[in-house]
Amino acid sequence: MDGYALAVWIVRLAFLALLYVFLAAVTRILLRDLRGAAVGRASSLGRLVVVASDVAEPTAGQAFALGAVAPIGRDVNNAIVVDDSFASAEHAVLTFRGRTWYVEDLASTNGTFVNGLRVAGLAAIGFGDEVQVGRVRFRLERPPA
Amino acid sequence: MTAPAGPVPLARPTARARLRPAPRPRELALLGIVAVALLAGSASLGATERALAGQPAVLAPVHPFQLGIYLAALLAAHLAQVVAGRRTDQVLLPAVGLLGGIGLLLMERLPQDLVGASIAGRSLGLSDVHLVWLLVAIGAATAVAVAARSDAWLRRYKYTWAAFGIALLLATFVLGREVDGALLTISVGPLSGQPSELLKVILVIFLAGYLSEFRPILATESTRLGPIRVPPVPYLLPMLAMWAVAFLIVVFQRDLGAAFLFFAVFLALLYIATGRAAYVVLGVALGILGALLAYRLFGHVRARVDIWLDPFADPLGAGYQVVQSLYAFARGGVFGTGLGAGLPLVDGRLPVPAIHTDFPLAALGEELGLAGVLAILGCYLVIVERGLRIAASAADDFRALLAAGLALVVGVQAFIIAGGNLRIIPLTGITLPFISYGGSSLLANGIVVGLLLALSDRGVGPPPAPRTPGGLRFRLGSRRGSAAPVGPATPARPATPAASAR
Repeated sequence: MDGYALAVWIVRLAFLALLYVFLAAVTRILLRDLRGAAVGRASSLGRLVVVASDVAEPTAGQAFALGAVAPIGRDVNNAIVVDDSFASAEHAVLTFRGRTWYVEDLASTNGTFVNGLRVAGLAAIGFGDEVQVGRVRFRLERPPA
Repeated sequence: MTAPAGPVPLARPTARARLRPAPRPRELALLGIVAVALLAGSASLGATERALAGQPAVLAPVHPFQLGIYLAALLAAHLAQVVAGRRTDQVLLPAVGLLGGIGLLLMERLPQDLVGASIAGRSLGLSDVHLVWLLVAIGAATAVAVAARSDAWLRRYKYTWAAFGIALLLATFVLGREVDGALLTISVGPLSGQPSELLKVILVIFLAGYLSEFRPILATESTRLGPIRVPPVPYLLPMLAMWAVAFLIVVFQRDLGAAFLFFAVFLALLYIATGRAAYVVLGVALGILGALLAYRLFGHVRARVDIWLDPFADPLGAGYQVVQSLYAFARGGVFGTGLGAGLPLVDGRLPVPAIHTDFPLAALGEELGLAGVLAILGCYLVIVERGLRIAASAADDFRALLAAGLALVVGVQAFIIAGGNLRIIPLTGITLPFISYGGSSLLANGIVVGLLLALSDRGVGPPPAPRTPGGLRFRLGSRRGSAAPVGPATPARPATPAASAR
């Protein structure tokens, strides 16, 4: 076998090898990315972000990491305290039940609103929907990945 | 249980105000590997072609100019995102670039008279036209990735998109031209294209909008139908409609691949949105029912299935392409014959006429072998993985479903045609994404990559507020000191966001 044929043969296999070099480099990046995501993942099921607020607490831009049950109201024992005279002490509760989030109005005086519609009792909500309690508007967001 | 995560700045200044270049070192490094790999492949092809043509032996790229233009376009796409300061995914572009480059090498290697076009008196061969479409696709991907700063134009007008898609489908029925027994191609003047490629993108956009809107209802409510629980009837209708559309495509367009692709992506998205296996079981049952019906009723479906079950029954007639494809894979072995050395001609012609559109994987299987085919399938896996990761870290349901759907469309399409070439499933005429020759396919997949890149942008603003029934939105925060929310006096009902928005 002369040198040229050998070189051609080597380049031919080098092309295949380089495809795998590329895949290996990509895999390294993907693994690092996945590991970072696994470390950074909070044990939360969602985030409640304050979109707009007319009161002192909470302020617009604030975000709450949500557990499976998150009561909202004026009372300080709520997970999410809305310091607003238009909010009831125990105003509403957000619950995650297996597949999706629900918001339940706890017979509040001024009502709980999802995307502008008043909730009667229990309503399923999706990520991206807006929930209003008193003069505070929240948006439910997916947990940061 | 619940803890405030501290203030999060919401209103980031949009990057439109000024350009802040952001380096993308990983993408550049991966593109470097892609460039070296393609140079090696091109040199190998060049040496073989020169040896076959009896020219002096030089180990150099076969068409250095074409390869140079292609690599420059990839670099330009990279630089455009660097300059625009986009913090988008850095793996997608190199993975797609590698597949596109392999496609370009394949088109350079095939007989150039498979496709003929002449522009301004200069006749263009297969690889020239392919290169032009590759550049268009890269341009489209970059433009979408850099320019798309909001997804409102996609999510707000989902019914408009759906109407556009249906119009496109009907246009194919009416204006379509029959090619190889399938009604796929529309010609308007000098332009011709395959609408089903664009249709798959529109379908994903519509499904993402529809499913994200009704996800809570679909995921939680159900009606009992005897022993099984099915989705509430009004929301079952889209599923039946989808099934009917797929069936109509099979009947009228004779495009089995597109029908399979659309229905599979629909079921996958439905499962991602709801997490309910019952929907998938129901959908698969409907799909099997439709397949059996089509097999019974339509000759073209039966022919495909019969060829799949036994291509050697008529190896020189109906089963010819599939048999030749299997032989090509067998000749390739583990490491292949090398680019340019395979694909023996029969009577001066390639044994498989549609090798550049429907059988590129068979050609690559022969010349790059099992190792090459596995690497190519690995690239598709990488693209799907990136799409699902982008979906997992999306801020809301629409973006998550859109990213997952776009990635799955590419993955499922690659599976359908690869499986068809390998005789794992019946062969259907659909393109291998990013590799096959075909302008519509390359352009549509370029848009898919652009949308995925745009969705992965970590610097982009939060999703727009959900649409509310007309006039009921509280302008809270815009008018300070406004009174308590004035709710609608109508009897309260469970909020189905925008169920009554129209």
